[in-house]
Amino acid sequence: MTTVRIFVTYKPSVFDPQGAAITDAIHTLGHDEVGSVAVGRFFDLSFNDEVTDLDAAIKDVATKLLVNFNMETYHYQVLEAAE
Amino acid sequence: MKIAVIVFPGSNCDVDLYEAFHSVLGADVEYVSHREHSLAGFDAVMLPGGFSYGDYLRCGAIARFANIIPAVRQMAEDGKFVFGTCNGFQILTEMGLLPGALKQNDSMQFVCKTVDLTVVNDQTAFTSRYQKGQTIQLPIAHGDGSYYADLQTIQQLEDHHQVVFRYAGENPNGSLHDIAGICNRQGNVLGMMPHPERAVEVLLGGTDGLPLFQSLLDQQTVRTEAE
Repeated sequence: MTTVRIFVTYKPSVFDPQGAAITDAIHTLGHDEVGSVAVGRFFDLSFNDEVTDLDAAIKDVATKLLVNFNMETYHYQVLEAAE
Repeated sequence: MKIAVIVFPGSNCDVDLYEAFHSVLGADVEYVSHREHSLAGFDAVMLPGGFSYGDYLRCGAIARFANIIPAVRQMAEDGKFVFGTCNGFQILTEMGLLPGALKQNDSMQFVCKTVDLTVVNDQTAFTSRYQKGQTIQLPIAHGDGSYYADLQTIQQLEDHHQVVFRYAGENPNGSLHDIAGICNRQGNVLGMMPHPERAVEVLLGGTDGLPLFQSLLDQQTVRTEAE
């Protein structure tokens, strides 16, 4: 089994209202050294051994469902590779 | 003109849309479940507001996979009329029938109030009973209604007169170019965040939504060869 974590965030050019609010809150804590916060979410996908082309499968799921490319972008990392 | 109102799990403005056509306008309208595969015999389809599939993933993202969606897409391609309000607008963008996306309001607040809108394009099948430049009042009720598209897409919308409604005065959600509603290039698909179906009787607080549905009923029905 292979577990892949797909991260989805707003594109840098898109205003992230949650990120802006959290940045303000961090500044209230006194941490002015934090310039900005980007909020996103991740999806952990567990692939079974039937997967033949992992990268292609991830790209297909991301582009057709998990990501709205009008405003979002994604990257991923393999957490647990098949043995 | 026979009209379908699609009912998704989590739709909550389907009755408002149905009654606007049925009770107020006496039009031929039917509910159609998201489970159905066909819209044969219908001339227009309405995608209602609400929270289809619990707004999981993104608003409208899961509804795009419902059984009925290919039939909705076919109606758009056939030149029949497709209308989405609020969650219906979000579904239309997720389906790719309209460009861009609806993102979380800049304020992060759910905004529920009546707003002023400017009718920007009175040449569509949905707005012929309005006048260009007219200010109307319609309710909005959404948390994810901030229209976003890249600058090139926005420019194309403006160049082709696809911006149909704009917020007048205060922009309630951060929409680019104050966009409240857009149509496709052909003009037979309209999506908007405000709720015209909630403004069709004086008792409801206003009737500025009525001309939208009356405009639609004025249209000639489109028949495909298969029919």
